[in-house]
Amino acid sequence: MAKLTVVNPVARPLTRRYPRALREPSLAGKRVGLYWNLKSGGDVALERAGELIAARFADVRLYRFEGSVGFLMRHATAADAERIAAACDVVIGATAD
Amino acid sequence: MRDARRSAENFGIPDLALAVVPEPLTNQKPEAIRRMVDGAIEQIIAGLTQNPFAPAEPGKEIVLLEDKELVFEGEDELEALERMNETFLSYGWSDGFPLRAPTPRAVEAMLAGTRRDPEAVVAVLEPGFGQATVLKVAANAVMAGCLPQHLPVLLAAIECLAEPAMNLRNKAMSTGSHAPLIWVNGPVRKRAGLNSGVCALGPGAPSRANSAIGRALRLCMMNLGHCYPGVSDMDTVGTPAKYAMCVAENEEQSPFAPYHVERGFRAEQSVVTVHFVYGLCELFDFVSTEPQPLLEVFASPALNLAQVSTAMWLIGHRADPRSGATEREHHTLFLCPDHARLLATHGVDKQAIRRELFKRARIPFRQAMLNKERHAMETARPELMWLWESPETMVPVVEDPQCYELLVVGGAAGRGTFFWGAGAPVSRAIDEEE
Repeated sequence: MAKLTVVNPVARPLTRRYPRALREPSLAGKRVGLYWNLKSGGDVALERAGELIAARFADVRLYRFEGSVGFLMRHATAADAERIAAACDVVIGATAD
Repeated sequence: MRDARRSAENFGIPDLALAVVPEPLTNQKPEAIRRMVDGAIEQIIAGLTQNPFAPAEPGKEIVLLEDKELVFEGEDELEALERMNETFLSYGWSDGFPLRAPTPRAVEAMLAGTRRDPEAVVAVLEPGFGQATVLKVAANAVMAGCLPQHLPVLLAAIECLAEPAMNLRNKAMSTGSHAPLIWVNGPVRKRAGLNSGVCALGPGAPSRANSAIGRALRLCMMNLGHCYPGVSDMDTVGTPAKYAMCVAENEEQSPFAPYHVERGFRAEQSVVTVHFVYGLCELFDFVSTEPQPLLEVFASPALNLAQVSTAMWLIGHRADPRSGATEREHHTLFLCPDHARLLATHGVDKQAIRRELFKRARIPFRQAMLNKERHAMETARPELMWLWESPETMVPVVEDPQCYELLVVGGAAGRGTFFWGAGAPVSRAIDEEE
């Protein structure tokens, strides 16, 4: 029986973890952000999601956002994220492809 | 779902609430998209209101083993090697071709190619944030068939990938086929045995170093950056260009200053450049004896609307929101020595070539916007919205003449290569003390 010993070629990842925001049980009265990254079709999906949520929960307010940098796909900068977080209670995004 | 979950795990948000629709939203009519959202609305509301949110499925697995070394057994060493190859393939660690065994002895021999500490971290590579130590790079170099003298080129190429300006996450994970094209300038070309002449892009014996280094960079993207096809590399079709693309500039046959000198490096420095590209085509012309028709031929591939970078400047720039880095879309042209000499003998230098390409590679605005979101242009280029009223206005396919990268590569006869680029190239000097 022959043995072949080899070096493990796979790198260890730097592990990071960002805690998830706590949810509230109802969207009634909430400010709902719709974040579009400009991928085709994402805007239609977000609008529909907003419509359905507004129809189900009372006093929902919808806010629309886009990232401030990018091209085919526009990204949210840290400043964008802060602005969105300040303006909304929850946010929905669409990745499209 | 599982690939989206994998991405969330990579980015440190494993419990991100995801809602899944049956098809991508792209290329869908609005009514079809609305129907898909109707079917997913309970998932969306659950993600916004349930605490904690229980993912329906785990992320696609990547195999990370703590073991420093792995042992394979067989009736003989060939069978053990075959088992290693089958196992690595099943883990996703292989590019699909047989690998050399990264035995401790082979890796140690590879490390003779550098003076760096084997445990030094060369880069942290996205999308998986893998810590690319010199040792791990060397192991992948062995698997790819590299020699020790190739290692400094590979290390510099990895450093190029890790530059914030490279925006690697975008290129590694996209549904578009972004393939790293490496080119090398300076004295290291000879030391590494890189081919800059006939068949420089391979395959075959003259391009052993080219093939091995190009392959090693792909393996490093996979095993060090955890950019695994179907898991975190989501190309719709993929491309054979991703297996290996590495050349040296044919500085000896070029009538122009070498690429790295043009970019501000000293001639005696060795410099590695990486440019992610979508694909390539030939720059064929056996007929022209004057610059103008030749440059018209050179400009023609850039007119290809089906390439994502064509006139993409109309809707903004590729950007990394974390570093603030933005990129223009560049194309790369390998001029063959014959064509380069023809141009130079008529007094046409690289800047003149760029100006001509910029002037000639233009398409009607109407056509340029066929595959782009109008709203994206409203956001990025509001000052140009008047073009919608003049749709036949010709617009350049890149935004600046400097978006054409030019170098001389290849042997005799009038056939160069055009690469449709994705963003801009990044160059890195090799530390000659290595």
